[in-house]
Amino acid sequence: VGDVSDAAPGGFARALGDLLVLDLTTEFCSGVATGFLADFGALVVRVEELPAARERRARARDADPEAGWDFLGELAHRNKRSLAVDLEAAPGAEILRGLLRRADALVTDWPRARLEERGLAYRDLSGARPDLVYARASGFGPKGPDRDLPALDELAAARTGMMPILPQPGAPPVYAAAGPMYTAALLAFGVLAALHHRAETGTGQEVDASLLAGNMYGASLDLQAYLAMGGERFLRPLARLDAGNPMSGVLYRASDGRWVCLTMPETDRWWPGLAGLAGLDPADPRFDSHEKRCGASRLELIRVLEDVFRRRPASEWKAELDARRLSADVVEEFAFPAEDPQARRNRYVLALDHPSRGPIKTLGFPIFLSEAAARLRSPAPALGQHSAQLLHELLGFPEARIAELAASGVIESA
Amino acid sequence: MTPDRPKGDAAARALAGIRVVDLTVWFQGPVAAQLLADFGAEVIKVERPQGGDPGRGVRSIRALPVGDWNQYFLVINRNKKSVALDLKKPGGRAIMDRLVERSDVFLSNLGAESLAAWDLGYERLCRLNPRLVYATTTGYGPFGNVDKPSFDMTVQALTGLMARLGEPGEPPIYLGMGSGDACGGLLAALGILLALHHRRRTGRGQRVDASLYGAQLFLAAPWLQGYLATGSDRYSKQRSRKTPERPLRNTFPTRDGWLFLCMGEDDESWSRVCGAVGDVDLEKEALFQGAEQRRRHAQQLVERLDAILARRTASEWMERFEPYGVLASPIRTLADLARDPQAWANEYLLETWCEEVRRWVAIRGFPVGLGATPGRVDSLGPELGEQTELVLLETLGYSWDEIGAFKEERAIP
Repeated sequence: VGDVSDAAPGGFARALGDLLVLDLTTEFCSGVATGFLADFGALVVRVEELPAARERRARARDADPEAGWDFLGELAHRNKRSLAVDLEAAPGAEILRGLLRRADALVTDWPRARLEERGLAYRDLSGARPDLVYARASGFGPKGPDRDLPALDELAAARTGMMPILPQPGAPPVYAAAGPMYTAALLAFGVLAALHHRAETGTGQEVDASLLAGNMYGASLDLQAYLAMGGERFLRPLARLDAGNPMSGVLYRASDGRWVCLTMPETDRWWPGLAGLAGLDPADPRFDSHEKRCGASRLELIRVLEDVFRRRPASEWKAELDARRLSADVVEEFAFPAEDPQARRNRYVLALDHPSRGPIKTLGFPIFLSEAAARLRSPAPALGQHSAQLLHELLGFPEARIAELAASGVIESA
Repeated sequence: MTPDRPKGDAAARALAGIRVVDLTVWFQGPVAAQLLADFGAEVIKVERPQGGDPGRGVRSIRALPVGDWNQYFLVINRNKKSVALDLKKPGGRAIMDRLVERSDVFLSNLGAESLAAWDLGYERLCRLNPRLVYATTTGYGPFGNVDKPSFDMTVQALTGLMARLGEPGEPPIYLGMGSGDACGGLLAALGILLALHHRRRTGRGQRVDASLYGAQLFLAAPWLQGYLATGSDRYSKQRSRKTPERPLRNTFPTRDGWLFLCMGEDDESWSRVCGAVGDVDLEKEALFQGAEQRRRHAQQLVERLDAILARRTASEWMERFEPYGVLASPIRTLADLARDPQAWANEYLLETWCEEVRRWVAIRGFPVGLGATPGRVDSLGPELGEQTELVLLETLGYSWDEIGAFKEERAIP
């Protein structure tokens, strides 16, 4: 596979080139967490359980019937290896035990009951491998009355308290689906922190992240403000035209129906520029101090700006805002980052020639390292694509034994 | 026989021994250092002597006064030390250089011009300390030519995520105060750990960046990846809850508030929902036979369920759902979350002593758990320059005479 979008900057070293990670996950969120480790060069073995993995992959492929391929799986599982194995069969369980003897970290999102039933709970493994980093993603955390609720981001988002206050008053609550992304990064952070500790002390440990924690982390500032300040204004939506600061965190509609977003929190700094743009006198006595703009004249300034922005189309406003170096922009749709040279240049979006899909675009890498940049080394593997190779390289199985395991259906080897 | 779980040392910290120079302001940069500090890194926050981090000056949020303790600054900067340093003075620069020489990580979210003006660019600092991990959180990424102000919501506006959310015709939706900053800061912290791991193997540091733009594109992945793959409006445009793609995974109003129903598209899920709402006719209706039909007639299905679910309260429905295995949650408020036992049991919320008001206060806790080396809050954010002398004396090895000379020069207060 070629990363043909740009000459990729950064060195070619693999930051995590010395790590072996077992990925015993089924959810997108935890797949993205191990995806970070794979993008930075860890050998991540995706252990796909037979026969369930076949159906799971078919479901993922058909999730968008019009697309007909698993583009979320492509994002989560790129750079990983696939080992398809029947863990119920004795030789399959033995393979997993063999891998667990070698692995630096295990990442899973299986329910607790299932891990216990298979002898894969932390306490089952830590005796033989006190240096193992054992990470688990869940819906609601390892403790508390709801620790065994399923890991569905919708359930966690509903609990977090942001859904009712995101929309305009009277509109339905809003689900943003960002929870899995915060959670994925948190889990990867926890794994690396634990690996750091292990390198210093030789001791592994359990790591946990949950969708509830991820959603709460994303809501940090509103949540903390509510905890300290209380108040109804944190519990219901605020109308767009009731903004606390008419110049910051506000959307105004342009003549073509598109939206302009202003973020100028320190209004003293930005007011002369904005007043010029709006055709107002910066010394207009209604608006000549921060206190007036955000206090007595707040609603009047909102009305004036609402009227001003309705006079011209968004593209003209964008040109004006940029020319005056104001902190504002036009609300864009996904077509913008899909084509944006800045997103491509920084490899946040990649264009590549996929071996089975042809030319595609995909999300790239949100973290840049100068000497060991993330790379697209291989696309998401087919089911069992590396089974034979991994058994040979990691466990030293001879060819005949591998053929026998494939013939008996214990492994699938693409 | 089940072996005993290895006993963690209660005092052990995962990131003990890592020293971070934290030259950041507001939220995205400071929260990256806060995550490191929560797990034991020694974070030294360098601030200008006049006023320090502008986050100290936050007076109102959502047009409400912040009250008697500035939670905005104090929670984001918990577990840190503060050194007040005037980088415009030669003495301030000398102190900064020594700090860089003796640290593992340099973290900044100041603009490239400010860093250049103080001669704190990557090239020079990595010559000063080749083991240094030099981390930045920028607005639009380290490459390319976009150079404009980058506040959270404006960058979120560019990603397409805001335009995707909400009912058709409604204004775009911002994910909440600092939602993108939180992601960028977390990715910067993750990048720092990646670089520290690499350093262990090579002996050398490197440059790390996580931008607000990159982080927010990543946040949008569940929809944006679909758009990149298909180019379809189904991913980029607002979609009404009245015509959902998956009608049984949808929000519904009840008599007293909203519910999020989280069921699959299969017949079994459908049968459970019909059983739980007690409507036998609904289950038999020809329009709704099979997943394909239900998807095609999603609008009618949502109308029917809207009418039915409006008859009872959310908690009545939750009771009725349980025996049928119907997954759902009432859509809660921040007030509900603040007393949610699940959040407290996992230390996603906790209480800590606030010296400023001399009482226990509720704060957001640790969004990730480490079993043997759990996160800890030893102190809320420091006073401006609280540890200036201590750090100069103990960490940097300056004598009292030298410290006196720095004061005279006004390099430190």
